[in-house]
Amino acid sequence: MQEIAREWGWSDHQWKGLGMIEKAVAGPDEDSTTMGLEASLNAIRRAGINPRDIGAVFFGTESKPYAVKPSATIIAEAIGATPLTMASDLEFACRAASEGLKASIGLIASGMVKYALVIGSDTAQANPGDVLEFTASSGAAAFILGSPGGSVAVFEGSSTYVTDTPDFWRREGSPYPRHSEGFTGEPAYFAHIIGAVRGLMEKLGLKPSDFNYAIFHQPNGKFPLKVGEMLGFKSEQIKLGLVTPLIGNTYNGSALIGLARVLDYAKPGERILVAPFGSGAGSDAYSLVVTDVIEEKRGKAPSVDEYINDKIQIPYSVYAKFRELILVMKE
Amino acid sequence: MRRLTEWSSARVWRSRVHRYRLIAGRCRSCGKVYYPPTDACPYCGSRDVDNMELPRVGRIISYSVIYATPFEDRNRSPVILGLIDLGVARLVTEIVDVKPEELKIGDRVEAVFRRVSVDGTTGLIVYGIKFRPTKAR
Amino acid sequence: MVYVTGVGLIGVDRHYDKSIRRLAFEATTAALNSSMVESIDFVIVASSISYLNESQLDLASYIASSIGLRGVRSITVESGEASGLAAVMMGKSLIDSGLASRVLVVGVDKLSEYPSWRIYKNLSLLYDSESDAFYTIGFGGLAGLLMRLYMDVYKVDRLTLAYWPALMHSNAKANPYAMLRFAITPEKVLEAPPIAEPLTLLDVFPLGDGAAAIVLDGKASGEAMAEIVAVETATGYQSIALSDDPLKIESLEVAYRRLIERTNVRSIDVVELHDSFTITGILELETLRLAERGRAAEAVAQGIFSIGGEGPVVNPSGGLKARGHPIGATGVYQVAEVALQLSGEFPGLKVEGARDGLVVSINAMGSSSYVAYMRAVR
Repeated sequence: MQEIAREWGWSDHQWKGLGMIEKAVAGPDEDSTTMGLEASLNAIRRAGINPRDIGAVFFGTESKPYAVKPSATIIAEAIGATPLTMASDLEFACRAASEGLKASIGLIASGMVKYALVIGSDTAQANPGDVLEFTASSGAAAFILGSPGGSVAVFEGSSTYVTDTPDFWRREGSPYPRHSEGFTGEPAYFAHIIGAVRGLMEKLGLKPSDFNYAIFHQPNGKFPLKVGEMLGFKSEQIKLGLVTPLIGNTYNGSALIGLARVLDYAKPGERILVAPFGSGAGSDAYSLVVTDVIEEKRGKAPSVDEYINDKIQIPYSVYAKFRELILVMKE
Repeated sequence: MRRLTEWSSARVWRSRVHRYRLIAGRCRSCGKVYYPPTDACPYCGSRDVDNMELPRVGRIISYSVIYATPFEDRNRSPVILGLIDLGVARLVTEIVDVKPEELKIGDRVEAVFRRVSVDGTTGLIVYGIKFRPTKAR
Repeated sequence: MVYVTGVGLIGVDRHYDKSIRRLAFEATTAALNSSMVESIDFVIVASSISYLNESQLDLASYIASSIGLRGVRSITVESGEASGLAAVMMGKSLIDSGLASRVLVVGVDKLSEYPSWRIYKNLSLLYDSESDAFYTIGFGGLAGLLMRLYMDVYKVDRLTLAYWPALMHSNAKANPYAMLRFAITPEKVLEAPPIAEPLTLLDVFPLGDGAAAIVLDGKASGEAMAEIVAVETATGYQSIALSDDPLKIESLEVAYRRLIERTNVRSIDVVELHDSFTITGILELETLRLAERGRAAEAVAQGIFSIGGEGPVVNPSGGLKARGHPIGATGVYQVAEVALQLSGEFPGLKVEGARDGLVVSINAMGSSSYVAYMRAVR
């Protein structure tokens, strides 16, 4: 954080106020597809399924390597799920992958597919020098969904809350998004997450104390604690799933990496709330109950904390080089 | 990263499966395994060959730290080229995510899926497998 | 019987003012005196990188007509770095088979045409695009990898491996056709900028332009400088990853075995071999059994292959390292140099009384290898 602040003349209050410490940066040969594939292989290892049985691959991102050409097919090919599978890239800012989760629940419950792979992956963009630069980072999470038997956690229910709200956007051809600062808060982030979570709790007749963990979309280290408090959750429920202070906001990975981390530690029988949010705007809320299958599947792939702790620190100059912020001739 | 001339769409497509999944050739006559797969065994010449997926962990046999990198690879220079032993077969590939001074012959490495070449700003991205040191666990 | 009856060499340098066709013309003129021009039956042009640099295919026809050999039979040979010796092999076979009596072999390539990074990319095409060169191999990437392996397996230190480039530079000082004509110490090699660690700038061939021409004749006339007794070749693996013993150049071992099966090779007095990188020279010495496995670097350091040493004199021209390596032309330079040694006319470091010579040319790290055995006639 200090590197960014020093570079652009921010005071340290700025990033401290966002609850930030560090953020993750994609290397020069990485993109949302490569990260998504690595996460997918980890998920498949834990699921212990034959990739051929995957009937849908949803890739949620707002940093597509190709504007037109799905990364989902590259991933589907790389894991061996092709050719008899659905595959598509979804866009809804940071909640695209979450749409994929909802769609997968329907596909599986209807019997149309046996397993679905949902990936949330981004190399998040921010205008250099903008406050967003403190948080925009790179990361991916992937989940294999299937019918309850053999699952590490089961969905009890879900709820979605969507409106046309222009809080944060990126026009075609623009390298960096624009955001409306304060407007991204109350009318966007808070309104939609609260709408979705209250909708879920009403539907299922649950209250905050029924949950062991609450994971919210985390654009910084403060908003999830605030929205949690507004909804009646305690910070102890939120802390484990709050990864942004350590890795930044991975956009589509945001809430989902938080969920992955909670699943690294959650015990059978515990209940998890996860509420992704995407600008534009919308939020989902899911209730998940952990099963005892989780104990045997957990160790089959690296944990989120292992990824967080395996890092190389780089100065701003190397970050700028990797993220192509420096104007270089291409040919 | 960019090729001298762009790989055709057809070439990118023909090679995708063995590039993505590290599919090697295996000779049913002499038993040797080799990458990339070819129509005949490079060892005994037999045409009785099939394919197999290679293991995704191995050890470094040797490596070189390349400073004479092409124009488009300046943003990741020096590039580390390695010869990796995967047990059943060996592979020449890049070693990534590590500082050169931290590498040693014999280090354990694992496969990762990465961009290998990008055809300018409008052409195709060619992905493939590179290796990085395994995380100490 | 095939004899070398004329040679023409251009100094290896950055000839910005000379085109490929001009270089080929000058080398050819030096090799022929004009009375023999009509009697050339075949022109073989050896060139490798020029296809990319010049955007030109079918080079032999265009060179043949531009150097005044209208209507001559011509063909282009491209075998990577070994194009020159491959072309000599083809020229010899035309004479051996009776299809020609006199063949002109011209090797030509320019490496100063573009900035080095672009040349390095062109040169990476010498390696397998499906395996090794699919990745960034830069310049010398594979050689650097093999050098590190050599040092690790045989416990040879970096300094010992620096005697080779020092010897090459020392030899080239006397060679008027060499590109680099300044002495260096082994210590200087270690201090030079890294190219593909552990290789430094002083372990790799310089980027220069060159052309060499030789006339091959089926008759031993008064002009015969040397006889090319036999040339053999073999292909190697696509990638060093396929070799169970990457510190031996298997294609060279096979080619050499074929050579000695085909003809009686007496003890060798002079060798011009393909030291594109320090390690390639070292591995060739060991593959040819001129030194034991793991001991060649030491042997070089002890002066075994220098003038006056116990072994054959290796690369008195300065080799690819100091004389230079204009890719497609190199093999022709090497044959011309050995012919000059065997006729006592080499204008640089002379190997006195040399009767038997060997020329070794390989592509990349051994995707193909060529070996020629030559004998004095005078």
